[in-house]
Amino acid sequence: MLRFSRRVAACLLILASAQAAVDVSPASAPRMEFTPLAPGTYRLPAIQSVENATLLDERAHPVRLSALTQGKITLLTFFYTYCVDPLGCPFAHQTLTLLRDRIVQDGELARAVRFVGISCDPGTDTPDALARYAADFATDSRFEWRFLTARSVSALLPVLDDFGQDVSVDVDDSGRATRALHHMLKVFLIDERGRVREIYSLAYLQPQVMLNDIGTLYLERRARAFPTR
Amino acid sequence: MRQSSQCTIVSAIVCLCFGAAAPKALADETCNSPYISNLIKGQEDFVHVWTLGVEGLGDGSDKLVTVDANPASKSYGKIVNTVSVGGRGEAHHMGFTDDRKFLWAGGLDDSKIYVFDVGTNPSKPKLIRKITGLPAKTKFVGPHTFYALPGRMLIGNLSNTTDKGGVTGMALYNNKGSLIARYDMPTASLGGVKGDGYGYDIAINPAKNVLLTSSFAGRQNYMRELGDLIKDAEAMKHFGSTMVVWNLKSMQPTQVLSVPGAPLEIRWSLAPGQNWAITAAALTSKLWLIKQGEGGAWSAREVGTIGNPAQVPLPVDISITAAGKGLWVNTFMDGTTHYFDLTDPEHPKETYQRRIGSQINMISQSWDGKRVYMTSSLLAHWDKKGADNEQFLRAFNWDGHALAPAFEVDFTREKLGRPHHMKFTAKANQSRTLAALAR
Repeated sequence: MLRFSRRVAACLLILASAQAAVDVSPASAPRMEFTPLAPGTYRLPAIQSVENATLLDERAHPVRLSALTQGKITLLTFFYTYCVDPLGCPFAHQTLTLLRDRIVQDGELARAVRFVGISCDPGTDTPDALARYAADFATDSRFEWRFLTARSVSALLPVLDDFGQDVSVDVDDSGRATRALHHMLKVFLIDERGRVREIYSLAYLQPQVMLNDIGTLYLERRARAFPTR
Repeated sequence: MRQSSQCTIVSAIVCLCFGAAAPKALADETCNSPYISNLIKGQEDFVHVWTLGVEGLGDGSDKLVTVDANPASKSYGKIVNTVSVGGRGEAHHMGFTDDRKFLWAGGLDDSKIYVFDVGTNPSKPKLIRKITGLPAKTKFVGPHTFYALPGRMLIGNLSNTTDKGGVTGMALYNNKGSLIARYDMPTASLGGVKGDGYGYDIAINPAKNVLLTSSFAGRQNYMRELGDLIKDAEAMKHFGSTMVVWNLKSMQPTQVLSVPGAPLEIRWSLAPGQNWAITAAALTSKLWLIKQGEGGAWSAREVGTIGNPAQVPLPVDISITAAGKGLWVNTFMDGTTHYFDLTDPEHPKETYQRRIGSQINMISQSWDGKRVYMTSSLLAHWDKKGADNEQFLRAFNWDGHALAPAFEVDFTREKLGRPHHMKFTAKANQSRTLAALAR
């Protein structure tokens, strides 16, 4: 119990540092002109459960999606490795990197959280391409940041559909797909039971709020593990 | 004659309750949820009109009517598709999902919700889902405002299953159509003002983590013939006179604001850093500005008059320009649209007006403000009678000084019904969905 209190206190200390009214996120971040609610003072409703699927990791090993959307608090996003939209994948990963750097300040919190990126262009983003891409982000051994792709577009479509993640591709005059993909930037916050609890689109991608939402789920998880008598 | 008598009726409403109102609208490209992707900042291709069925007219059912709105098209100004929902439930408002692929549309009478696929082929929307469980699951009826959040739809309702009065709440669904949560409108005092529990419109400012709601009336009022309603002094007391400030993250009300006269549509300024919103109170014919003070508390203040309140013009729908510098206001009773200069939102100035028809309600403008669309119907039981019951979609071009007619669709002659809420779509051009490419 004492350990729980210390851990929660440490967690809250880290999260409290993210409650200042001035956002320290990149200049291109959405405007945030309010002080976020403290972790645990509000409830995030369960939006939907995540359907299972089989994807591929950076080593071309089959991975059940449920293995990476349950058991930890997960931030999941869709991306493609060659995206250069400044308010697209690079912005999302910049925000996630900022969050990762804050989360790893607390070892237990870091072990309770993971990030997952799923490529929406399995034709280009092979496991090898993912491995090269991951080298730029999954660099902290204290934190689990995974990247996934699919064997084919057909294998990916049910996952996109489940998350409501629309992806379109520009075609040339003959109707052939180009490398210009369009997808609505969304980051999904998933609890340890595999339920989506928040969805951040660009207008919502406020790092302090995201950190406090993670803290809310973390405290919820701890409360279940150590129920108050 | 009919119009004259109805003006008298509405005058009586104002005299009796000083807080009654009339509905209408969420509509155009500048008033979509801030979470919606792919705003159409150029030429829209289609305008979709959610239309109330009329018994004995065509199939009598509510329907989604699609009109070609691109001047470069051979079918410009023509109806290109209709989707009947096979029943009449007081079709009213609709809203896009966050990805703009689907339109959710509601019926104020039967509380049914219809989901149309407008993304696959916007020229031919398809009805893909019906949601019928709102009253049973939430105890709310009269789904009015459909406001997209990421991956979900927040629905502002008008009434409840218990007494069909104005006390109601909001319902949150995921985009798959499953209910996530319900939120009661406050009836307690917050910030020194007692909540009336009524609901109507929803508008969010993500930068402030603030959600605003407004208030109208319950089913027992909006589904009654207007002539009967105004004779019922007790019923006339039951109209909204508040707005509510919510903490968006927690979905908890934090302040109730007194806004007499039934505040209806809410529009946040879209200009960066301009954290104010404006609304029109229907019965008092006043514009109200909602803004935050230095201490953090929000306030609502009357800032302008629409037409001559003594003549009860009944402002219904409003539409703010993308730059937040102008505001269209439609007044139902005199069928007139008014343009206000909002350069100083504390002192709106009317700079233009034009009579559009015997009655008008909804207004939608393109993102660039150059095209304006208007429809005629308010509510089935509140529309004018006889020759004044014009039912139309009228499109105009706006050069900053005057409206010039572009095209018109007569919804009675076309046997469609009473046109209400409008939304725009555009063709996909040179892109295809991943799913389409995989086929």
